[in-house]
Amino acid sequence: MIKGMIADIERAATHDGSGIRTTVFFKGCPLNCRWCHNPECIGFKPQMMYYPEKCIGCGKCDEGCFSGARVICGKEYDAQTLMKEILLDKDYYRENGGVTFSGGEPLAQPEFLKLMIDECKNEGIGCAVETSLFYYNEEIFKKLDFIMADFKIWDSDIHKEYTGVPNERIKENFVRMNKLDISIIARTPIIPSVNQEIDKISGFLKNLKNVKQYELLPYHPMGNAKRAALGMEPDGFKEPDREYMKELNKYAFVR
Amino acid sequence: MLSYADRLRSMRETKIRHTLEKRKQNGYTDLDDFGTVPISEGYCVEPWYNSTNGSFYGYDGMCENFCRVIDAHEPYIDPMEMLCGRWRDMLVNYRGDLHYMPDWLKNNLKNLEFIKNGATNQWSKRWDEQRFPYDDLKPLQEKYNITTGIDGDAHFACDYRIGFELGFGGFLDKINKYREINPDKKDFYDAEERCVKAIQRFIQRHIDKAAKLIESETRQEIKESLIKMKEVCENIKENPPKTFHEACQWTAFFNCASRIYTRDGAGFQIDGLLYPYYERDIQAGILDDETAKFLIANLLLIDPHYYQLSGVDENDKDMTNHLSYLVLEAADSINIACNLTVRMHENCDREFVRKAVYYLIKNKNAWPRFCNDKSLAEGYMRNGVDKKTARERIAVGCNWMCVPGKEFPMNDTVKINIAKVMEEALKDLRKEECYSTERLFELYESHLKKAIEVTAAGINLHLDHQWEVTPELIMNLMMKDSIEKGEDISQCAELFTVGIDGAGLAVVADSFGALEDRVEKEHLLSWEDMFEALDNNFENERTRLILSSAQKYCSGNSAADKWAKRLTESWVGLVKAQKMPEGRQLIPGWFSWSRTIEYGSKVGTTPNGRRAGEPISHGANPNPHFRQDGASTAQSNGIASVQCGYGNTAPLQIEFDPDVKADEKGIDIVLNLIETHFKKGGTLININVLDGEKLMEANENPDLYPDLVVRVTGFTAYFASLSPQFRQLVVDRFLSTDRQ
Repeated sequence: MIKGMIADIERAATHDGSGIRTTVFFKGCPLNCRWCHNPECIGFKPQMMYYPEKCIGCGKCDEGCFSGARVICGKEYDAQTLMKEILLDKDYYRENGGVTFSGGEPLAQPEFLKLMIDECKNEGIGCAVETSLFYYNEEIFKKLDFIMADFKIWDSDIHKEYTGVPNERIKENFVRMNKLDISIIARTPIIPSVNQEIDKISGFLKNLKNVKQYELLPYHPMGNAKRAALGMEPDGFKEPDREYMKELNKYAFVR
Repeated sequence: MLSYADRLRSMRETKIRHTLEKRKQNGYTDLDDFGTVPISEGYCVEPWYNSTNGSFYGYDGMCENFCRVIDAHEPYIDPMEMLCGRWRDMLVNYRGDLHYMPDWLKNNLKNLEFIKNGATNQWSKRWDEQRFPYDDLKPLQEKYNITTGIDGDAHFACDYRIGFELGFGGFLDKINKYREINPDKKDFYDAEERCVKAIQRFIQRHIDKAAKLIESETRQEIKESLIKMKEVCENIKENPPKTFHEACQWTAFFNCASRIYTRDGAGFQIDGLLYPYYERDIQAGILDDETAKFLIANLLLIDPHYYQLSGVDENDKDMTNHLSYLVLEAADSINIACNLTVRMHENCDREFVRKAVYYLIKNKNAWPRFCNDKSLAEGYMRNGVDKKTARERIAVGCNWMCVPGKEFPMNDTVKINIAKVMEEALKDLRKEECYSTERLFELYESHLKKAIEVTAAGINLHLDHQWEVTPELIMNLMMKDSIEKGEDISQCAELFTVGIDGAGLAVVADSFGALEDRVEKEHLLSWEDMFEALDNNFENERTRLILSSAQKYCSGNSAADKWAKRLTESWVGLVKAQKMPEGRQLIPGWFSWSRTIEYGSKVGTTPNGRRAGEPISHGANPNPHFRQDGASTAQSNGIASVQCGYGNTAPLQIEFDPDVKADEKGIDIVLNLIETHFKKGGTLININVLDGEKLMEANENPDLYPDLVVRVTGFTAYFASLSPQFRQLVVDRFLSTDRQ
């Protein structure tokens, strides 16, 4: 049986696409963005997250932790069990809501992702993915209502420095996807200290007809609590101020 | 020249000043604002006691003291307003209950002397226990922490059409007519007559004050407004209201009187009842939309009575009209604590509903709320009531509905704390040899049955004697058959569908769920461990966490979800099986209510990891942190699954994502949630869309935001007026659904 490694499921999500959605966070990502706000979704295997402030010092860690101090992130789901969760909100999805497969990188578990999309489609539930576009999977893309895809940094060397991979393949995948009949919402997380060249990214995306919207998402430091829980150092980035966002937002577009 | 917008701004500022002043005078009140104005310098009432226990009862006692309190009320006119009249004080303050007494009364030595002279040790003297004792019921009432309804008042709804048709002069004519027909009911009619005349004196004082203000007013537009105000008051002192302006002013005066008498806050179908006046005046060219909106805003400012908007008639025809929109716009223009409820039905004007949602999100002031016609009307019909009557049953109370003029439901006055019932069942279980959740449930049901029986006995005692204790002299005027028969409405209502609500659902469901999961299935604890932990109030935190981390009610597909449904079936079954005399019926509900702190203080440690004395859960809502994502859909599903199905509510009280915007997407999302909850059988939705930052700052220093309104439950309140403990509850509820 095909199983997926899932980090978390969030119901009633309203920020990951249109309408009311259930967001399924796949665990594991080929990129390793230094600012990642879901650092627990980078590794492909279950991980222990430790929140010392919640520990009650009962000394019975081996018998199970109930305080929320030690939390295992990552659980294997079969399609049926995951569908049971997704179906709880079926009545709320309507035409423009549905399921967002996020992560991590959902396309890093293509078989399970495909299975889940098929299951959802059988139930008449709309589907979208949030992806780094590191992978190109036409079979999956064609099944989706829309795709939220990141374009993080224009220069490939800088891209590699901050995310662990160069971006030629990602650029190419944007171009390839432009030939399919699918809406793309392109997004860039804004990290003030990094030379991302938003103007160039925006110019590139404007030439792709399928990119219906380009959003700039301000970096937020919420991933740092999870980094600490994973025993990692803080990412060291700062939130962009309003002026900076305002300045850059002239490159964002909707069409 | 002052525009309506200028005047509204000034009215809002005055309102904010009053809110802060009232808090100084009254201390914190975890209650609705009620529209009162601060007590004025030198205000004093000398109550008249007709009972040796230091209280007053019956026609003469209530009537005499009503006259004394309303006569002591100075007229209230703010020249910025077009309507006048406010209330400050009510009869119950003088009934010898030190517990209910506001601070300003306690601080006034002269006032306190009157009270002390009549004070006895009896806890509540709203009920005449000397004549109608119920000592036999008290042990079980206390055992199950029952709010009995004995000593209650108001909590039903007038048919304002009767008042609009007759006016105060017409009331007097009707009283005189039936006094002759029913000479044996002279005491009743005399009391009614004196009350109406006291209201007319109240109006006359406003006329006199307006006359004085006109003399000294220099601003031409305000002078004209005062002249109009005086003319309107003169017209309606005797005559029924003839214009839109007069109907609003008539309502304001009646509401002030009714509040003073028993704090009654039931309004009416505002867009329906006022529409004929609106239409006539527009056609006659004596009213325009801007003035109509100003008048409505003024009425909403005077008193946050519960008004319903929209909905369908008995033939499923949409009742939304142009005035429905104007009411929303008026509420937006004044934007205070408004108790407006939008009734939804698939035939209703969808644009109107979208607009209602828009204002909810835009203003973040917790109005309007939404109720579901289908489940309420169809549910109420299951009590043997016809469709027309069921459709007339509108939202006129905190979380309750009533058929205006016909029903005496005692809604909101009768509760059983089922967490306390479970506590008794747990005590019994320990005496047995084998422990199981099934057995616990059997014991719970047997206690619940006893609790319902003793509650029913209390209700019957109350209904048998309310007329001799607290007759409804003001509301009787607009109730069907009361004046005609010479009887109090508590004796002669057409419908005695009496609401009885359970409190603490989530605590009990989560307790059963935790026992099933952690003790019976996972064997993480033994029953003995669990009992020991209850005894020592969770000295061992790990034990508490094992129980509290079990999946909760509203998480979806959990054991606690299953128990919540089973508890509801049992609650409904036992309440409906309770026999009642004289055509009375009990209607079950899971009422959302503000007494979670007080009820919690009576309940010991519970198996859901709740420590002794902590607040119990809120109405039909889940416990805080029921899911990590706080999903509104999960909460909606859970609450839709515990509806009681007989026309009373199990409200969805929800704190919505503060980032939701008042744009098409935001409206779609909120409307989707409302519609889907209703499709699943939900009855009533109270939504807070709160600005988290503002809420936190206001919690630290409430005076920073004296205009911040939160929906506590069915009612809205000024955050600054709430006690620190209650403010914290609102903050906790907000935090529990504030997502990462």
